[in-house]
Amino acid sequence: MLQFLVKRLIGLIFVIVGITFITFIMGYLAPGDPIRAQMGDHFDYHTWQMLRHAYGLDLPWYQQYYNYLVHLAHFDLGISFKYQNRPVWDILKDGVPVSLELAFWGLVVELLLGIPVGILSAIKANSWIDTLNMGVALIIYALPPFVIAILAQVVIVWIDSKTGASWPSSSWGAPWQYDWTDLQPKIVPILVYGAAGYAYFARLARTTMLEVLRQDYVRTARAKGLHERVVIYWHALRNALIPLVTVLGVAIGLLVAGTFFIEQIFNIPGIGRISLQSVIDLDYPVIQATVVLLAVGVVIGNLISDILYTIVDPRIRLE
Amino acid sequence: MSMDAHHKPSETAGESFVKPDAGLQPPPAELLELAAGLREAPPLGAPPGEEEADQERRAASPWRESLRRLRRDKRAMASLGLIIFFVLVAFFGPPIYQHIGGVYQSPQNGPVPASVYHSYYHEELIRQDEGPSAQYWLGTDDLGRDILARLMQGMLVSIIVAALVEVVDIGLGLTVGVLAGYFGGWIDQVLARFTDLMFAFPGLLFAIMLTGIIGPGASDALAKLPIIGPNGNGRLLLVSLALAITVWPLMARYVRGQTLQLKEQQFIEAARTSGSSNLRIIFRHIIPNLMSIVVVASTLNISNTIIGEAGISLLGLGVQAPGSSLGLMISDATPYINTHPWEILVPTTVLALIVLAFSFLGDGLRDAFDPRSKD
Repeated sequence: MLQFLVKRLIGLIFVIVGITFITFIMGYLAPGDPIRAQMGDHFDYHTWQMLRHAYGLDLPWYQQYYNYLVHLAHFDLGISFKYQNRPVWDILKDGVPVSLELAFWGLVVELLLGIPVGILSAIKANSWIDTLNMGVALIIYALPPFVIAILAQVVIVWIDSKTGASWPSSSWGAPWQYDWTDLQPKIVPILVYGAAGYAYFARLARTTMLEVLRQDYVRTARAKGLHERVVIYWHALRNALIPLVTVLGVAIGLLVAGTFFIEQIFNIPGIGRISLQSVIDLDYPVIQATVVLLAVGVVIGNLISDILYTIVDPRIRLE
Repeated sequence: MSMDAHHKPSETAGESFVKPDAGLQPPPAELLELAAGLREAPPLGAPPGEEEADQERRAASPWRESLRRLRRDKRAMASLGLIIFFVLVAFFGPPIYQHIGGVYQSPQNGPVPASVYHSYYHEELIRQDEGPSAQYWLGTDDLGRDILARLMQGMLVSIIVAALVEVVDIGLGLTVGVLAGYFGGWIDQVLARFTDLMFAFPGLLFAIMLTGIIGPGASDALAKLPIIGPNGNGRLLLVSLALAITVWPLMARYVRGQTLQLKEQQFIEAARTSGSSNLRIIFRHIIPNLMSIVVVASTLNISNTIIGEAGISLLGLGVQAPGSSLGLMISDATPYINTHPWEILVPTTVLALIVLAFSFLGDGLRDAFDPRSKD
């Protein structure tokens, strides 16, 4: 276990170095001078040179990259190009709790709706419930998240106009606050955000549950005369959940990809929107920071799912 | 596909019914369904191995057998029909549409021929946000541009990007995958490291970053090239490139896995003992056997590519006005969702249909080429 963790941590460092290098070199090789772009019409040669020096942009690339890594190791994400006295973290810190909240509830929707629906489908295999569930899941899974988001918005607007209700179609409450005014705008984005993962888990849960129900020990349990409910919820369900743990990483990947669109469409002030804004502003330090944050999130998610795997299934040894 | 499990028994039953006259014209579909319905379906859990072995023996060739299975998959065939329809509309729709309709006396621009007001970039500023009419079949957007014309251009963009990405995906994925699988060694190591990195690095994030950072400069630089020209096409090329870079490692991984399996099989050994060179083995024996996996993987990937392009354009980093793309149309119509939901529903629906069609076709292909992969 320890050996595995050490190995994975080394892998994590490798991935982070790789990702920072890709983001760094892209910014370095990009046509145009970022400082000059920020200065716009107020260009002045002396200030320009001073700023370049202040940001270390006059150094050769390997020295810039080295400095960047050293700062990163001290959890220093640098200073924004656009807001020249604001550290990057200062720009990101309001977005982090919002995105984390969205991701947390999105994951809850995926797991607590997706898995039961999938299990139900497997128990009632080939009934109309199963066909309906899986049909819906298939379509939701195939559709891109932003299409679902827009359709949801159209429906909200339509209901508002028909009933005179004023359900908000785009905004966000205070993070981690659940008064009705804070909660109300969050409900639809969270449901939409979890939709893709919901469909993924529902389909996977159905498949694994069907597989488990075909196993010999389930037949034995039935043959012993156990109550069907005991067979399903005690013998089968626990084993059907194992493979689901391993795909948590995939679910987290889906969440990260969804962030940009959900935050953009529903006007949510999270990391995804900040990072899009920084791409438009060519604010490289902020772009690099958001990319590193999101990628680290994905890698840690994968690591957690690997560790959970050994906990739920003691037969598996991590080597 | 998991949800198809309950189709499987009746399908295989139908198959064994048809088999005796496999070489002849297949009986009409209604007859097959009747036969499938009449036959007792085997229990769900029964291993289909025996029947499949049976099939294999009588089949003319595995490829033809797969196509036969695909033809019987109604959902996949309907999707294929829809895709062909969309491709035809995207390529031949605009020239036809521009010849329909007389000269329009515009109070603003004077006489305007159909070839102009039915183009995707012409703005009739006093004809904004209209519903469908004889002149504008699907209405106009917030700048008085023809929605149908923009829609067809957007579909063309989706198809072109998908094609470009697939060319790179197949080319690079097949080459690297075969080399890594066949020879192993350092190329295999590099591939493994690279795919690890790409899997940790969400592909969309990479594409957003690349188009966002390099985009503005690249569209200026690429606009000078002859074929690409201005009109935001440079961005399109960049988007394709960004998406292609993120997808090919997955293809390479599939190909590598399949190559490793093939390499150990007896016919390869036979080829080697009879003196075939590595090159000959790869081209004559390995690559033809990889075709089914490549076809399936690339079809499934096309819907991701189309989603990717539309998404990047939606975020304002892809195709730029006056060019058109489904994503750009969606993003243009977002402010009018309250007043003119039609404008956002049209491109969204078409995008959803294209994406669904490609993923259903991909699922159908996978089931047809590898029936054991069901569920």
